[in-house]
Amino acid sequence: MSTLIKRSAQGWEISHTDDRPNWKTPQDWQQGEPLLLQVDAEIDARFLQASTIAIDFPAFTDGRGLSLAVLLRQRIKYTGELHAIGAIHEDVLHYMVRCGFDVLELPQERCAETALRLLAPYTHHYQESVEQA
Amino acid sequence: MYQYDNFDREFVAERVAHYRDQTQRYLAGQLSEAEFLQLRLRNGLYIQRLAPMLRVAVPYGTLSATQLRMLAQISRRYDRGYGHLSTRQNMQFNWPEIADVPDILHDLASVEMHAIQTSGSCIRNVTTDEFSGAAADELVDPRPYCEIMRQWSTNHPEFDWLPRKFKIAVTGAANDRAAIAVHDIGIRAYKNADDAVVFDIFVGGGLGRTPVLGTAIYSGLPVKHLLTYLESIMRVYNRYGRRDNKYKARIKILVRAMGAEAFKARVEQDWVDIKGGPSTLSDAQVADMVAAFAPPARVTSAAASIDLDALRLEHPTFSHWLHHNVGPHQQANLTVVTLSTKMTGVPPGDVSDEQMDAVAQWAEDHSGGEIRISHEQNFVLPHVPRNALFELWEKARRLDLATANAGLLTNMICCPGGDYCSLANAKSIPVAEAIQRRFDDYDYVHDLGDLDLNISGCMNACGHHHVGNIGILGVDKKGQEFYQISLGGHSGHSGHAASLGQIVGPSFARAEVCDVLAIILNTFVDFRLEGESFLSCFNRIGIAPFKERVYVDAD
Ligand code: SF4
Repeated sequence: MSTLIKRSAQGWEISHTDDRPNWKTPQDWQQGEPLLLQVDAEIDARFLQASTIAIDFPAFTDGRGLSLAVLLRQRIKYTGELHAIGAIHEDVLHYMVRCGFDVLELPQERCAETALRLLAPYTHHYQESVEQA
Repeated sequence: MYQYDNFDREFVAERVAHYRDQTQRYLAGQLSEAEFLQLRLRNGLYIQRLAPMLRVAVPYGTLSATQLRMLAQISRRYDRGYGHLSTRQNMQFNWPEIADVPDILHDLASVEMHAIQTSGSCIRNVTTDEFSGAAADELVDPRPYCEIMRQWSTNHPEFDWLPRKFKIAVTGAANDRAAIAVHDIGIRAYKNADDAVVFDIFVGGGLGRTPVLGTAIYSGLPVKHLLTYLESIMRVYNRYGRRDNKYKARIKILVRAMGAEAFKARVEQDWVDIKGGPSTLSDAQVADMVAAFAPPARVTSAAASIDLDALRLEHPTFSHWLHHNVGPHQQANLTVVTLSTKMTGVPPGDVSDEQMDAVAQWAEDHSGGEIRISHEQNFVLPHVPRNALFELWEKARRLDLATANAGLLTNMICCPGGDYCSLANAKSIPVAEAIQRRFDDYDYVHDLGDLDLNISGCMNACGHHHVGNIGILGVDKKGQEFYQISLGGHSGHSGHAASLGQIVGPSFARAEVCDVLAIILNTFVDFRLEGESFLSCFNRIGIAPFKERVYVDAD
């Protein structure tokens, strides 16, 4: 069972599901399938044809996935769902949201309520962002 | 100086609340030691050898009198009545309790201050010339651009989890007092032929165990493109900087591995997408920020005009102080004053609450309410009227802040070292003190002329030993404290290009350091031509004569 925090028309919602997408790596992925990227992946315009994309964080302190997300949103203008998976942590979710993630898959040991509470600790920001409002 | 608007106030209040929440979760056992470490570092809290250390951000080294009074109060309330001026123009407290830190941050927020990103692998406090907005040799006041970068880098969603810490320094003067050559990004601001402000951008400089001078990758960047260009640099670094080895994780290693040309090409390739995009600065934004740094309105002195020459004759120590610690201002009736903390017997950069309160008062009386912290760990009053100098000197003398040694041997830069820092190989403060005691004759030290002596307790080089004309580095030799000496380093502030020191040879025991230093200084005195500084002399004669004498005499 995984815990997802997902953006919906009503705002962010917690859900629990066993039904995870059948992620494919860029090597064995085909158009229309869910695509799983490692944080060191290079951007490719073909990714626009994925049904959904996930970025796998090896550690919550690894910021590469944040830049990769921004590139997906900014450079190839990907507008589909973007999942953060792997070692993600309550205290970095607000950055992830602002880098364009809209589905956050929490590891088991993390607390969904705390995560939800800390999605937007700041009313205003000093920078522009690619947040998917 | 810059004043917070509602946006800044709200943001900092929310940051305090966020950090309080993090602290409570940690104390309640919901965050592990390793997780909390990452979070507290991004709020300036280290756990040191003896106690936690809180590093408060002093953006580009600029403080108001009200802010300095608050720092004095914090040092009394939560610490032991003193603070430490760091080489990155910040203020450090050595004895706070972890549980008190949210309250300290709350107090700081009440005077528009914070500790955001003063440590951790993120963009740190932007540093600059401590004389900015005042120095006679200034081309462009760097502070508005520093503040623009402070805001941009604060909680940047993409760049708070970098491979390693990231330091940006800016200079806008003919003499680079910000040491931009040894920063991850160094920025030189000046006006081009059309009188527009532009920037030269250097990347990949740094100290630490692999000292490197930065390489220019852009000349004449227009102001409006500043943030987008920085974003592209940060993105290339964030994506490709090494994360497997913390000693190879700084941008300098990436730039060297890729080659500066290839690095620049990557940056430009990324920049294509965002140049002119949403982070582009508008003329109005820049003009507003420049206006926020207008010179203080009221800088006059009640004192009648005084005869400085007569006072100099009467008070030789005042004359020395004028000579070394008082510099030219953009306005002829004003001066820039350095209040040296380098009094023998006091750890360099340590200031008491009483001194902080006093400096705040003098700033109000004589400097338009403004204070600066220099990377040489001194206070600076940037706008002091000429006819207030004697009065200020008399006040400063009473509080041990009038040592006439700015620019001289005894005004050494010194990191906290083994007395406080858990990373240290050796103590640095007792070495500084021994040197001050040994070379305590003003005439001798004055005769040596301009001389930067910098001391670091380990390879991390917080004391900037690589860019000291004489650098002293604490090393560990089979569990013993030893000191390696290097010569000829320079941070770029006085007409010479920045340079890295060359190691003289095998290191010395602590008891030998002063003797070796005496040999080095005597060698300089013997070889120098009339009027030649230590650095010029070294550049002319090289390291060989020093080596010869140091090791012959030491045998
Ligand atoms: S140089 Fe080393 S000993 Fe000195 S403060 Fe930095 S880390 Fe600590």
